[in-house]
Amino acid sequence: MKILLVDDEQKFINMLAKRLALRGIEADTAYTGEEALKKAESAVYDVAVLDIKMPGISGPQLKRKLFTLHPNLNFIFVTGHGAVEKSEEDGSEKDIYLSKPLDIDFLIETVQELIQAR
Amino acid sequence: MLKIFQDFLKSLWPEFYRHRTNVHLNSFYTFTNYRYLWFISISVLAATALAPICIATLIYYQLIETSVDSDLNHRTKQLTVAAKSAVTFFMEERLNALTFTVNENGYEQLTDNTRLAEILKNLKLGFGGVTDLSVLDADGNQVAYAGPFNLEGKNYKNQSWFEQSLKQINYISEVFTGYRDVPHIIITVRSVKPDGSSFILRATLDTERLMQTLSSYKTGDYADIFLVNHEGKLQTPSIHYGAIFTPTNLIFPAGSDESEVIEIFLNGKSIISGHSSISRDLTSTPFTLMVLKEKAGMLKFWQDMSFKFNWIMGASVVVILIVITFASTFMVNKLYRADKAKAETMMQMEQSQQLASIGQLAAGVAHEINNPLAVINQTAGYMKDLFSFKDQERDDDEIVEYIDSILDAVDRCGTITRQLLGFVRQFDVKIKKVNLQKLISQVLSFHKKEAEYRRIHVTVSIPDSFPELETDSSKFQQVLVNLINNAFQAVEEGNCLDIIASQLSPNTIELVIHDTGCGIPEENLKKIHEPFFSTKKNGSGTGLGLSITYGLVKKLGGRISVQSTEGVGTSFTIHLPVKINEGRNA
Repeated sequence: MKILLVDDEQKFINMLAKRLALRGIEADTAYTGEEALKKAESAVYDVAVLDIKMPGISGPQLKRKLFTLHPNLNFIFVTGHGAVEKSEEDGSEKDIYLSKPLDIDFLIETVQELIQAR
Repeated sequence: MLKIFQDFLKSLWPEFYRHRTNVHLNSFYTFTNYRYLWFISISVLAATALAPICIATLIYYQLIETSVDSDLNHRTKQLTVAAKSAVTFFMEERLNALTFTVNENGYEQLTDNTRLAEILKNLKLGFGGVTDLSVLDADGNQVAYAGPFNLEGKNYKNQSWFEQSLKQINYISEVFTGYRDVPHIIITVRSVKPDGSSFILRATLDTERLMQTLSSYKTGDYADIFLVNHEGKLQTPSIHYGAIFTPTNLIFPAGSDESEVIEIFLNGKSIISGHSSISRDLTSTPFTLMVLKEKAGMLKFWQDMSFKFNWIMGASVVVILIVITFASTFMVNKLYRADKAKAETMMQMEQSQQLASIGQLAAGVAHEINNPLAVINQTAGYMKDLFSFKDQERDDDEIVEYIDSILDAVDRCGTITRQLLGFVRQFDVKIKKVNLQKLISQVLSFHKKEAEYRRIHVTVSIPDSFPELETDSSKFQQVLVNLINNAFQAVEEGNCLDIIASQLSPNTIELVIHDTGCGIPEENLKKIHEPFFSTKKNGSGTGLGLSITYGLVKKLGGRISVQSTEGVGTSFTIHLPVKINEGRNA
């Protein structure tokens, strides 16, 4: 299982990646959308965890781009806004939104559910 | 019962009259001076309602006066003509009878006293008013006499009437007393004896009969009909001038046959006076007929009518004034209440908009705080992991680094909450010194992340010499929040937002908030300051933001204008005084 973490809040995803690694989950980090796309070209991920608001390419935009590269990729959005907004461009699948601050056990649970559902 | 009485008192002393100026509400009222409005309403209504009545009344009186005047003149003239005919006829009748007597009987028979007495008897029977008859020869000697006075043998040669009688065929004398001490008129007819010399038949008319004829024309209590001679001496008694032979100033040129009516003033009374000289074809008489009519008496009917008319008019005016006063009071009171309700609603709107803008900020603030919280969460979680997963190596330096990053994140949170508190606190501060640079960066700080995400280039240009403003900081802050929020909503990714401040004059500053956003279509440009105008879909906006901003700038003593081109961008320009005029603000 391999996860791609994309957020401009560097310390946040660094810590998250370290903690996931402790729990046996391999996680790559990308601080911008461009970096994430570059990493996705050379590796295959099961789940991408995207921040919605990022400078440059935003979360939903990045999802579309990654989706064309890897149609089988699963997405989880993370947002600082307490309220979870529905994305207008979601396709047939429902997007999953998690709010910050993020509980790591809940994230792992969600990731596993996604993979099992596939 | 008590409530009805209270309502009645309220309608007498209406609500708007007890209006207390409320500093917060005042600027929302459409009308400021309701007492003045009330006064104007009553005056205008009263003027328009009463002017026609006053004009009609004036015209009515004018018409009455002229018509009554001409009516009076006409009636007096008619009376004068009628009375004149009667007097003329009276004289002519007797003169003709005398002429007939002379021609029929001749000198011989007339000088026979028995025959003369018989003629007198017949004349008295036929015409009346003849007192006696006498025949005079050319020397003034009375040749024959018939009548109640013993005047036989008298000589009249030196009497003026006798001289006149000799000169004319007919003669009518003035009224005089003569030998007998009774007012009488002499009429004479001159004829010729068989020997060729002249003789005169004289008849004496008693004035009683003449006065009766005159008084038969007196209609009503206010008419006075009498005769005067050419010297103005009364020939019959007059109500206004007194007894017979009283001299008057009523002197008219003899010989005019025309009747004339004039208005004179006598003893303080206005009198219509008609006069006409009594004349005959052959002989003129010394009389002028006078008809006097008191105007007041004649006007009595009209005055009675006018009195009633005045009462009706007065009553209508009072009723109209009462109705107007009550109607105006009622309307102005209704207007006042509606205006008051509007003002109160507007104030509540402004307050709720203020709260809404804080709410908008809160969402941004939550986002800003959640990010560092997420960092704290993960860092602390990782540190816990380090202790939970026993096989992990623990490096003290690493742990200190994590603690530092937690402290960093806490600092970030602290900064944001401090900013928010400082911002919210301003809402209840009144007039104070405002540093524009500080205020703008405070407002922008809530949009910092958004600007970053959406790559919006925000530039703030404030000259170093820019003065400190002395203004209502909370209102000014809300103006900035509203306009900057608007600009952020209008711009697309990668656009620019420029805030440019400059000092126009020692007491005026200009602030331009310019964006290169979507712009405002021209048809909407006029409406953007109207309340409840919004182009946002599905009620996501209240449509109050700009209308309240507009009101706030006005309250700050400034003005706001907007230039916009669709697709190019929008500029809001605010002009504000450096020092707010507190009196105006209050």
